[in-house]
Amino acid sequence: VSAERLRLEVRGPAEVIVELPAGGGPGGEQPLSAAGGTNDPPPATHLLRQPPADSAAGRLHVEVVVDGWRFEVVAEEAHRAALRERAARAAAAHHAGGHATVRAQIPGRVTRLWVSEGEHVEQGQRLLAIEAMKMENEIRAPRAGVVERLAVAEGALVELNDELLIVGEPAAAVAPPGAERP
Amino acid sequence: VSRRQASRQVSLRKDSTDGPPFAKVLVANRGEIARRLIRACHELGCATVAVYSDADADALHVAEAGERVRIGPPPPSASYLSVAAIIDAARGTGATAIHPGYGFLSEQPALAEACAAAGIVFVGPRPRTLAELGNKLAARAAAAKVGVPTVPGTLGAVTVGMGEGSAARGSATDALQRQADGVGYPLLIKAAAGGGGRGMRRVDDPAELVGAAVAASNEAAAAFGDGAIYIERYVERARHVEVQLLGDELGTIVALGERDCSIQRRHQKLVEEAPAPGLDAGQRRRLHGLGVEVARAVGLLNAATAEFLLTPSGEFWFLEVNARLQVEHGVTELVSGVDLVHEQLWLAAGRPLSPAVMAAAERAAEPVRHAIEARISAEDPAHDFGPAPGLISRWRPPAAENLRVDDGVAAGSLVSTHYDPLLAKLMAVGPDRATALARLAGALADFEIGGVQTTLPFHRWLLEQPGFAAAIDLSTDFVARAWQPAPLAAVAALSAAEAVAAAWPVLHAQSEAERPTADGGSAWWRDGLAAEIEERLR
Repeated sequence: VSAERLRLEVRGPAEVIVELPAGGGPGGEQPLSAAGGTNDPPPATHLLRQPPADSAAGRLHVEVVVDGWRFEVVAEEAHRAALRERAARAAAAHHAGGHATVRAQIPGRVTRLWVSEGEHVEQGQRLLAIEAMKMENEIRAPRAGVVERLAVAEGALVELNDELLIVGEPAAAVAPPGAERP
Repeated sequence: VSRRQASRQVSLRKDSTDGPPFAKVLVANRGEIARRLIRACHELGCATVAVYSDADADALHVAEAGERVRIGPPPPSASYLSVAAIIDAARGTGATAIHPGYGFLSEQPALAEACAAAGIVFVGPRPRTLAELGNKLAARAAAAKVGVPTVPGTLGAVTVGMGEGSAARGSATDALQRQADGVGYPLLIKAAAGGGGRGMRRVDDPAELVGAAVAASNEAAAAFGDGAIYIERYVERARHVEVQLLGDELGTIVALGERDCSIQRRHQKLVEEAPAPGLDAGQRRRLHGLGVEVARAVGLLNAATAEFLLTPSGEFWFLEVNARLQVEHGVTELVSGVDLVHEQLWLAAGRPLSPAVMAAAERAAEPVRHAIEARISAEDPAHDFGPAPGLISRWRPPAAENLRVDDGVAAGSLVSTHYDPLLAKLMAVGPDRATALARLAGALADFEIGGVQTTLPFHRWLLEQPGFAAAIDLSTDFVARAWQPAPLAAVAALSAAEAVAAAWPVLHAQSEAERPTADGGSAWWRDGLAAEIEERLR
């Protein structure tokens, strides 16, 4: 039986996308632990099945902990992944530009706001800081554009995935300031 | 059940013949330390009251206490830092003592004073001791006065001349620069009211001095309501050592040995061990003596820890006193055989130091065991130990003789960002350091945690470092110098991909078999948590 190829997207403390044969190596003889030197003890690897994060059939979400490093791995057959991506690219082409909603990746308190509504920001520019677990996390602009909506104020408590602000089209691409303001 | 076991254990204690130290103790904390305190209270036959914020309604410490009182919403300022709410909870339940644990209100004179006013015993030092030690400059001055060497630096606050006329600001800047030149570079600017690395700045270049001083002062003013700062010399390759102290109402103060806490990042401890490696009995006696001197100077009652720098040339320089139970007290317990929380409760009840404590203090300079602790926190060690909140999907701590796990969570616990990310303290003990380290390494390999990234991989790496294993490269900058997580995480990421590929036939067949079921949701997850995770993290 020839092994099918899988596409594995690994997210976590290090991120990688690789294609590997299903069943572990050409012979499919490898155990769950990763290949290591023959005298090395196998790393402590634990697989935890995750609930499906999307409805796409054939995509498996697995939490894997290797030597204490925790990853979320999305696995699917490589040919299906290629098909899906082609479709996604086609769809994205229709939505180029538009608005980017910046959401809280971590719950916490907004400690600083560096931008205000109507301000133009460059990609990667600091937008605001969220303090969580005594640490300040800077949120940066995912793309260049104008801050269309600011949904939080300094001191606000935000939950995971809360909308923080929306970065719209760059100023040159929209109507003159004020023209379409409600 | 635990009550019956507790009373049996109590009957073995000589000093418990006339009942527990307190009828009922309120534990004003959360997480692993609240559980550890509640356990200790039950062992002595004290009833317990837990307090909790809305974020902790389902927390383990709440379930394990005899009674529980909600004290407010999740932000600490509205709950665990609310003196009024905690005093009300104690009054309402008839608790006769409050144990503050560490952090939160443990070193705030306000809680200790409010306890005194309400006729409740505060398990800790006297309010004026807390007030004096809370100001690090005052603590430095107190130490210097009794001849304990402090880290070279200013003994008073330095001014940065903000908000004054330009002439005054200019002369203040000149004075600051002169003081800094006197201390020498590199130096540290510290907040007098500081803690946990806040309001602290390292300055290598005189040109950065004024900017750093202003920034540190502003940060301190924002965090502590006090912008006073001072300057200390930054000691390269120094170790952090600290002395465990106990004091009774008669004024007897003893040292129960020292700990080495040099493995830190950003002034937060990651690993602690007792005793400090490489010291001889003479050095230990000297260090313990310095700790006792400082404690005596501030009239210490109950438990505290005096922190020192150990310089490469072998000098002990006093840093500060933490007037409370330390996070890392467990390693001292494993080495000394003394239960520090039991002793805290007896001391708070007015008992003198017990013969067992005095004997342990006698032996403290020549320890016959070694213990080491790894702090297991919900942090990503590959990304500067940033917070890694989430829902714990698997929690399987190792269990073995010579191991101790003080944990505050279980599978299903939500790690929120409101509080400290410490999940557990994993401790190992042995007749010598090598044995303790080997046991800790085994325990780390056996510890299974799912759902959140933790500091486990850092600890596994640390124990493999020859410089650490041989205790020849211990210093507070070790982690910053040597921890290179990217290659380790990258190798692990590939291993994770390989593991899933290897398991694909089984996983895929399983998922195909499960897919048609109507009640799919919870069947997906081995521990039956899928629905909850989706709901809470989505």
